[in-house]
Amino acid sequence: MSEQPASAGQASPALGGHAAQAVGSRQEPFIVIKGVVKRYPGVLALDHVDGVIVPGAVVGLLGKNGAGKSTLIKVLAGVVQPDAGELHIDGVHVRLHGPLDASRRGLAVVHQELTDVPNLTVAENIELGLGYPRYVRTFVNRRALRRKAADVLDRLGARIDPKSQLASLSIAERRLVVIARGLATNARLLVLDEPTASLTDEEINHLHEVVRLLRDHGVAVIYVTHRLQEVFAVTDDVAVMRDGKMVFESPTANVARAELIEHITGRKAAAASSPWRPPNGTTPREELLRVENLALPGVVEDASFALRAGDVLGIAGLVGAGRTELARLIFGADIAASGRILVRGRPVKVRGPRDAMRAGIALLPEDRRRQGTVLTFSVRKNITLPTLRRFRVSPPLPLPHFARERQASHELIERLQIKVAHAEHPIGHLSGGNQQKVVLAKWLDSGADVFIFDEPTHGIDVGAKEEVYRLMVGLAEAGRGVIFISSEFPELVGTCNRVVVMREGRLVGEFEDDAITESVLIERCYGG
Amino acid sequence: MAKQSSTDMAVDRVFRRRSASALLLQILSRYGVIVAFALMILVFSLARPHTFPTVTNLKSILTFAAPQMIVALGLTVVLVMQDFDLSIGSMVGLADGAAVALMVYHGVPWPLALALGLGLGVGAGLVNGFLVAILRGNSFIMTLAMATILTGVEYVFTDQAVVFQGVSQGYVNIGANSTLGFSNQVWIALGVALALWALLDTTESGRYMYAIGGNPEAARLSGIRTRTLRVSGFVIVAFAAALVGILLSAAGAGYTPNPGQYLLLPAYAGAFLGAACFRPGEFNIPGTVVGVLFLGTIETGLTLLNLQTYMINLVQGAILIVAVLLSTVAVRRP
Repeated sequence: MSEQPASAGQASPALGGHAAQAVGSRQEPFIVIKGVVKRYPGVLALDHVDGVIVPGAVVGLLGKNGAGKSTLIKVLAGVVQPDAGELHIDGVHVRLHGPLDASRRGLAVVHQELTDVPNLTVAENIELGLGYPRYVRTFVNRRALRRKAADVLDRLGARIDPKSQLASLSIAERRLVVIARGLATNARLLVLDEPTASLTDEEINHLHEVVRLLRDHGVAVIYVTHRLQEVFAVTDDVAVMRDGKMVFESPTANVARAELIEHITGRKAAAASSPWRPPNGTTPREELLRVENLALPGVVEDASFALRAGDVLGIAGLVGAGRTELARLIFGADIAASGRILVRGRPVKVRGPRDAMRAGIALLPEDRRRQGTVLTFSVRKNITLPTLRRFRVSPPLPLPHFARERQASHELIERLQIKVAHAEHPIGHLSGGNQQKVVLAKWLDSGADVFIFDEPTHGIDVGAKEEVYRLMVGLAEAGRGVIFISSEFPELVGTCNRVVVMREGRLVGEFEDDAITESVLIERCYGG
Repeated sequence: MAKQSSTDMAVDRVFRRRSASALLLQILSRYGVIVAFALMILVFSLARPHTFPTVTNLKSILTFAAPQMIVALGLTVVLVMQDFDLSIGSMVGLADGAAVALMVYHGVPWPLALALGLGLGVGAGLVNGFLVAILRGNSFIMTLAMATILTGVEYVFTDQAVVFQGVSQGYVNIGANSTLGFSNQVWIALGVALALWALLDTTESGRYMYAIGGNPEAARLSGIRTRTLRVSGFVIVAFAAALVGILLSAAGAGYTPNPGQYLLLPAYAGAFLGAACFRPGEFNIPGTVVGVLFLGTIETGLTLLNLQTYMINLVQGAILIVAVLLSTVAVRRP
């Protein structure tokens, strides 16, 4: 610690702050971020974030989902305009007018999802949008194009044929091509967002070599990841974000793994005061749902667990661990390749969401905009969508009774305290938290006994989160079963009476009552 | 409490100020087509006071518009679910050709020929629905391919030969007769409009169809039978097109090859104009009715003004572009 000059005196942590100081005397910072703020409805995604990015340093950017990492990256990519704060490039105050502007200024972002064009060749992808070399200003000079691409690939030490079709490459190779595209623009800052997702160990090692090579050529790298071992393997400096703030910053060599985990999760976890404990009755609680050896190869492997009445069962895991996929299999949104689902002890054939609903299962999907709501519909029409048959003018006539629908909607709006002027308001105008409550309202009175909440608090504010926790506990108290999928472990610790941990498609641990602690869950998630 | 209401009022003021400027746009987008329609009737009436604003002309516009109307109404149902059907023109021809050929060449009694013509249409709609909703083919290209196939099937029945005699009188009466002063075609179009309005705007299935159009995945995860409903949409539009085929051959007492192709574009134009009124950006039955009548009125009016055909084309195209863009602008700024 003592070797770090002036670190203790710093007012607040900044991205790349130490790297800047370490090399600051020799090199001017490339980018300076000053007090950047970005607000979304109901969420403060970036809360006065500072940062200094110097050439030739690799900064690891850590944080939970929703901590603000991706928003920060989007600001650097020119995709998102900050509400306040400044961006300086080479000492000049700039505004990025879009992705093209950002890339012209030497900022290249490799997004987690591959943003390449599979039906073009490697060379065509690398030089895409940079102006292909041409004969007589018209016809593409393929040879020159290939040579230019080969140069860039050489710099990466990648042995990829520039002539090959992109679609024929492995995911790792495609990622390298996307990185090459960033380099072809003469990028001085390369942002890698979860670059090793779905890569093998060997491929990861190669990628790390590439990163070191780039660093030695004076490129600044921001490396976003959830895997701590990578942070220690490849970064010079780490920065941690939480709730939109930059909360921690240090040279990688000076920080321990446990310390990082503490910073990522927040020591004083803002969780519900006391977790739910089902009453210790003498009668055993009924088993509502049992999943036996459920599998979809490559996604969910051999998952088995049981849910009893009165359970709030958490499923912990990292993004991509297969939690959402497992929920979708149970609900019939996707069809399992093998395994059984039993409801109240009876095997149920789930060939679609309708079968699951008939068996009393409800799924509140993760991506509410794409899967949970019909944005062109009013709040009322969204609420009554899965239960519309209940609002018939008379039971044999399939005609919805408007007044009854409206009354039921108003009751649910009242009960969940959804902030909307009236039920006929389009749902698209509501904030994220209120949209989420509408998705809850859809299923609350559906008569289901098993409720699967997939990331129900994602992107909603603290107050709304508390209400969602209370609602889940309320369902458990009423003898229903709740499955609660979350990447925010404090909320699982603070709410659940049982938690299972998923990693790489498998259930790798189960904890009950007081055995559920954040550190235990994180250890299990990261493979401890 | 007082503080709360004063902030509410401030919010209200801001909201109102913003909406005041948007109000005109909103009214224009919602009722623009209707306002334009009324203006057009006024202009035509002033320009041709003796021929345009007459009962005879009204009847002729309605009769002229009826086949387009029926096809456009059926089309509205698939468009609501964000599907396309480009085979409707060929479906008209298939039912038309098959019914006439069965009567004239094979001596099939006309009620049976009529039923078989409609049945073929429904069958073709089932195939469309199967290709698009079950096998997940792109509706645009699937129905385009089906259009070619269906015209081929039509020619199997008719060998592309024009028929102008031998059609049963009972059959001809369906399309050529009038009831209460209006052509049967107009009454049938009215019936189809009422039935499909009831379906889309008052039933559960209609609500589900709009939900599928709004977000198919959310609809499926809400337990809606999305595939069944999409297939039934294709069957409904196919039935409507086949009905038009019957009416056209009945009204004309004969058959000409590929008789429905001219209906394809007016049907789409009518439905898209319809999506520009009442509920901007959303296909709806009352809108389609207004859209088709609007197009029919323009065509008749411009003809009465003795405009050249090229002029009629230019004006019709321009009106369509303006009307549809207007509704798009309104949707983009909620």
